[in-house]
Amino acid sequence: MPDWKEVVRTRLKTLRLQGTKESALSEELSQHLEDHYRDLRSGGTSPQEAYRQTVAELDDLHPIQVQTERSRMPKDNLSADFWRDLRYSVRTIRQAPLFALFVILTLALGIGANTTVFTVINTLILNALPAENPSALAAIGIAKGSGYQPTSYADLKDYRERASAFESLAGYTSVRVITWQANTGAERMFTELVTGNYFSTLGLKPAAGRFFTLEEDGTPGAHPVAVMNYGVWQRRFGADPTVVGSTLRLNNQVVTIIGIAPANFIGVNAIFGPDVWIPAAMSQPLFTNEKIMALTDRAATAYMGVGRLKAGVSRSQAQANLATIAADLAREYPATNEGRKATVVSIRDAMFAGMGGSSAILFGSAILLMVVAIVLLIACSNVANLLLARAAARQQEMAVRLAMGASRFRLIRQLLTESVFLGLLSGVVGLFIAYAGLKLLFGTLPGAANFVAPRLDVTVFLFALAISLATGFLFGTVPALRASRAEIAITLKNEARTAGRSRGKIGLANVLLVGQVAFSFLLLVTATLFLRSIEHAYEMSPGFQTANLALFMSSPGQAGFAKPQTVAFYRDVRERLSRNPDIASASWASNLPLWARPIIGLEVEGRDKHSKAEQLSTILTIADTHYFETAGVTLERGRTFDATDQENSAPVAIVNTKLAHDFFPDGNAIGRRIQLPGEKQMRQVVGIARMANYSTWGEAPQLCVYVPLEQKFSDSMTLYVRSKADPHAVVLPVQRELRAAAPTLLISDTRIGSDIVNGGLFQARVGVALLTVFGLLALGLASIGLYGIMAYSVNQRKREIGLRMALGAAQASVMRLVLNQGMRLVSVGVGIGLVAALIVGQFLSRMLYGVNASDPLSIVGAAVVLLTSAFLACYLPARRASRVDPLVALREG
Amino acid sequence: MMPMPPDPEWKKGSAELLVLSLLEDQPRHGYDISKLIRVRSGGALQFHVTSLYPLLHRLEEDGAIEGKWVEKPDQRRRRYYSLTPHGAEILRSKQQSWKDFVAVISRITGIEHA
Repeated sequence: MPDWKEVVRTRLKTLRLQGTKESALSEELSQHLEDHYRDLRSGGTSPQEAYRQTVAELDDLHPIQVQTERSRMPKDNLSADFWRDLRYSVRTIRQAPLFALFVILTLALGIGANTTVFTVINTLILNALPAENPSALAAIGIAKGSGYQPTSYADLKDYRERASAFESLAGYTSVRVITWQANTGAERMFTELVTGNYFSTLGLKPAAGRFFTLEEDGTPGAHPVAVMNYGVWQRRFGADPTVVGSTLRLNNQVVTIIGIAPANFIGVNAIFGPDVWIPAAMSQPLFTNEKIMALTDRAATAYMGVGRLKAGVSRSQAQANLATIAADLAREYPATNEGRKATVVSIRDAMFAGMGGSSAILFGSAILLMVVAIVLLIACSNVANLLLARAAARQQEMAVRLAMGASRFRLIRQLLTESVFLGLLSGVVGLFIAYAGLKLLFGTLPGAANFVAPRLDVTVFLFALAISLATGFLFGTVPALRASRAEIAITLKNEARTAGRSRGKIGLANVLLVGQVAFSFLLLVTATLFLRSIEHAYEMSPGFQTANLALFMSSPGQAGFAKPQTVAFYRDVRERLSRNPDIASASWASNLPLWARPIIGLEVEGRDKHSKAEQLSTILTIADTHYFETAGVTLERGRTFDATDQENSAPVAIVNTKLAHDFFPDGNAIGRRIQLPGEKQMRQVVGIARMANYSTWGEAPQLCVYVPLEQKFSDSMTLYVRSKADPHAVVLPVQRELRAAAPTLLISDTRIGSDIVNGGLFQARVGVALLTVFGLLALGLASIGLYGIMAYSVNQRKREIGLRMALGAAQASVMRLVLNQGMRLVSVGVGIGLVAALIVGQFLSRMLYGVNASDPLSIVGAAVVLLTSAFLACYLPARRASRVDPLVALREG
Repeated sequence: MMPMPPDPEWKKGSAELLVLSLLEDQPRHGYDISKLIRVRSGGALQFHVTSLYPLLHRLEEDGAIEGKWVEKPDQRRRRYYSLTPHGAEILRSKQQSWKDFVAVISRITGIEHA
């Protein structure tokens, strides 16, 4: 009797069976063979013949192989499969750690870029106002074109008392500088004056302490209280709980901090907030000489309104409601309110006031989102290409599985588990990249405690999770579909080396590659356009001379100076500086360049009565003598202010060219008269100044009126100093003179002209920096992708290349062959990208300064950068191809 | 007359039906099953061990049958397979579809039941 166990063991050796289940199989088999042999023998078969017949049973081992593979393989059971697939994925990743690292890094960059931009959008747009039910809030002001501007406190009070559309209506000023007389010296702070119902209208709860009562905004000057910004409390006061109940000396008034505003609330404005909120009733003692802050003067338009609409009331209904009241007020107070139209706008417009409104923010965000989405798409297509290449290598594995009866769906699911798992790992790394990116981005903001802080909250995490999952599906689906389509019979029979990529796979990879090149080109052109645009913006004249200019802000009134003292201080400083040989000229003005805000209610003599329907808004600059030469604003006609312009001499003004041309034939305004809001006497125009940018860089033209300091007092002025050489050199001497003139006055805010320009272009510079980073990222990813495909293709064609070289092809011609193949794809991509860039350029043109959207230099520049890096990516594999040893290639191939 | 061995493709498709049918009445071990198929088909159908056991194991993995090692005095232990309730269901549906199939073929080809 043969030893059947031994026979079975020997025959099944090649299958490398293991485990209890498989040893049970060999026991069953040997028993079966033993029975069979015994039956044959008892039936009279000879021992040799019985042995032959029994052993023949083991001839075809294929079914056993298939079955063992099948039992080892994950089963069709969703939840159990998932864990099995996950373990399998981890194993696959560990088998090719470099591949996994490359995939994870590539995707993490894309996911990180998206998460960064999303966090900014989440902070600025989705969650900007952490108020209760913000959709019921609306902003109220005076209509100005399609936008709005502040109205007076008195008007707002009337709206609040008479309007029926609002549940409640509050007011707040823009952020104003206030001086904090701390024990260690004077420090600058920012404040917003608000009505007593400000916090309750927004539906906020204090983080500590309490908010204002209506009574605290009652009797003027009776309740010196303040609520502190949470971020300021955290960063400037170390979150000290005793801050609530303590006092601060602000503009010489002792103010008690009664509460802390909730975290993430920095006011209605979404970008920049005050250190403290103070009741409007305190405006008189705090801002004694700032007429714009006066509560009873309807010409003093410093207050923005924010209202909570009653349930079921729309913005346009509220607008109609306020229009009636505004018309009544115009009849009651014609001097100030004639032509004043109330408007109710979206709260978003109030949130992004000063940033070009919500549409500019949304437009910018949409562009950035698109850009980072493209970066992610490039990353995905890179990884998809890599997986396609790997799918070819794994075709055998897939074919065996299909042969063993695995369904195609099952295989796809397993491959997708693998790619989604990679996507999630990338998401984790991407979150870290986003965190670093945000720190970098928001770290550039000066005075971070007042600026909005990026919020990495649950929404951001969900977003990162969602795009990680989507990424996994996106780059995994096509390769999974391809891989699982392996044709069983063909692949199993073929040797591994011939089971390479089919023509279709190269085709798809090429399409992905062309797309990557096109997208990178588009991004590069866009980034270059913006770079060139910002270059132009720096060259553009803002209408004043920024070179050799130094500026020193001062608020003598806030330091407790009375009017005569302040006037003497201005004069003293001017005289002291005139003795400094390094200084060409010095003057005082009420506005800082690019920080001026318009006022409304200007009247121009002879203006058509019909056009009085809308009040005129204008920039008003109070200027000392020598202002125009110091600021570098050209006077086109007439004279500047001089010593003859005194408090009791005839009231005069200088207007800008826009005002002159808008209201007087031939722009000749000299000798004509204008009237400023709140002033009884008309002013005679004595000069016409060239137009400048007053509020923002490259703004739409605005009207501007200059009046002499002697005729319109202000206790908060900026000192303009024009140096003969480098303005940095005069900063310390000027500060010394200022201290000598007024030892108690702190001049903390000093800027030179280039700071003003940089500040004015801050948003643009951040935008360009982001675009450049993302453009280069896209270029880098696309180059790596190109290199990968070319290297792979050279490897696949090694045999063919070897054959060519064996038949006498020169190294150079082989190199040309490979380079041609790669650069042809690149050229197609650049062509498509060019068309896309021209189309996209049309939409971007309104954001560009002085550069045409089809600027040839930008396009050629981007093309040179892209073609150079693409050439390098093709050159390396091409060089390797040209060094193929024909003998080796033919033997291996 | 000795019946002709059927087309191998047909055998493959019906193997599960045959095995499940044989286990309907009682548990059997592998050799028993293979012998019954050979004997009852008059030698026309034969399963090699390398096909039979993988099939049994697959049916077991799918939950249609259950295998148990049974030790009897004076005998070596053997693995007996029995039909599970799930297997009984599969068997019924396979029998039905087989009947339907045969009926359809008969109608089309005009071959009467033997």
